[in-house]
Amino acid sequence: MSDGDDRDGNDRYRNGGGRSRNGNDRAGARSRTARWGLAGCTVAVAALLAGLPWVARGRLPDRLATHWSGGAAPDGSMPLWEASLLPAGLWLLVALALSVRRRRSWPAARPWRAIALAPAAAVLVGAQACVVRANLDRTDWHEARDPALGVVLPLALAAVAGVVAWRLTIRTTSTTPPAPTPALDLPAGERLVWFSRAANPWLQLVAALTGLIAVGALVTLVAGLADPAVLVPLCAVCAAVSLAGALSSSVQAKVSEAGLEVSFGPLGWPARRWSPTAIESARAEPRQPSQVGGWGYRLSGLGTTVMLRAGDCLVVRPRGRRTDFAVSVDDAERGAALLNALRRRA
Amino acid sequence: MLIRLDKTDTRPLHEQVAAAIRRAIAEGECRAGDRLPSARDLSTALDINVNTVLRGLRELRDEGLLEFRRGRGITVAEGAARRSGLEIRVRELVAEASRLGYSRTDLIEMIRGTTT
Repeated sequence: MSDGDDRDGNDRYRNGGGRSRNGNDRAGARSRTARWGLAGCTVAVAALLAGLPWVARGRLPDRLATHWSGGAAPDGSMPLWEASLLPAGLWLLVALALSVRRRRSWPAARPWRAIALAPAAAVLVGAQACVVRANLDRTDWHEARDPALGVVLPLALAAVAGVVAWRLTIRTTSTTPPAPTPALDLPAGERLVWFSRAANPWLQLVAALTGLIAVGALVTLVAGLADPAVLVPLCAVCAAVSLAGALSSSVQAKVSEAGLEVSFGPLGWPARRWSPTAIESARAEPRQPSQVGGWGYRLSGLGTTVMLRAGDCLVVRPRGRRTDFAVSVDDAERGAALLNALRRRA
Repeated sequence: MLIRLDKTDTRPLHEQVAAAIRRAIAEGECRAGDRLPSARDLSTALDINVNTVLRGLRELRDEGLLEFRRGRGITVAEGAARRSGLEIRVRELVAEASRLGYSRTDLIEMIRGTTT
């Protein structure tokens, strides 16, 4: 007993030196487990979809009613084998399409994959269960009646599955230990402020072009030269895209004694503010648009990212939150350092 | 860009603002053509009245370090980095001369007398 304890202690002692390697091993093992878990779940759902009609085949007609167009009577049917294999095949296709790694730079474990797959599985399983339920103990598929909960049940299941997947994955991604936080020497009696900005000329161009189209459509509409049925949606969509583009095409970050302020667009509005005490930690981190799902104001597994260009991002963890807020601005390292220094002094 | 302001400094605030930005330009915090934060942003961040900030910025424009452009805001002028370094040294020289009892006229005479 004491021998075993001793060896255990020795191992722990020896591993103490290589903590980073150990951490990497653990992270690798975790991602491996996650990958196999996801594959196992995918196969289980496919088996459930295919097996459900087979289990009940003694009580089902030869052809199953599979489609209702609003009325109680069905208007589409499938043979038993097709009704069992089609949803399973569809499910496997969806799972495969979401599992392909299109870019090498993408991280292997992407939380949104589980968030997308869980509702899809819920919808398919719910629909399959409803189809089997509607056809149960019927002799002909024409007799099958629209299951009362045919639409509500799968959608409710999907919502629940999506929320559960989101809660679970966000929690696991946020447990990754944050990188070391830089700090700046803040001399007493000196006031330091840090300004930075970033702009994306392509988003500005898109905003300008869509703005022009919206104005042109509005003028044409007022002049009565074209059909309002086409122009009103065009004008509205272009105006919305232009506004969203203009607001997210440039960003200014400011760190002062009042904390961090991130303001969007040429007018500096809207803006988000955090006081130094409301921030748990700040750091600089290189991020790619492919990691966060594109350009602009992005919500992803990494938290919120204001992505205007690839590269340095100022990343802050607000106090009491489990996700980060990141903004792509130049010179983020010193901004983070100043913010940490202010936070420590506050 | 990082701007430093000494809270114990007793000089007028507009001079302090000008000195802080002059130093930022000399240290390469912002390069020629870069846009400066707006006077309103500087004023809230430094906790100094916006008119005082504007007075400091106008001093820098008169020195040729900044350019005020309608619609484009305030930008750092071409060659401002070298010039701001020189401006800082001139100020140090004037302060040192007055500490040693030389007037500005004496200093000008001395500069005029320098042949190299």
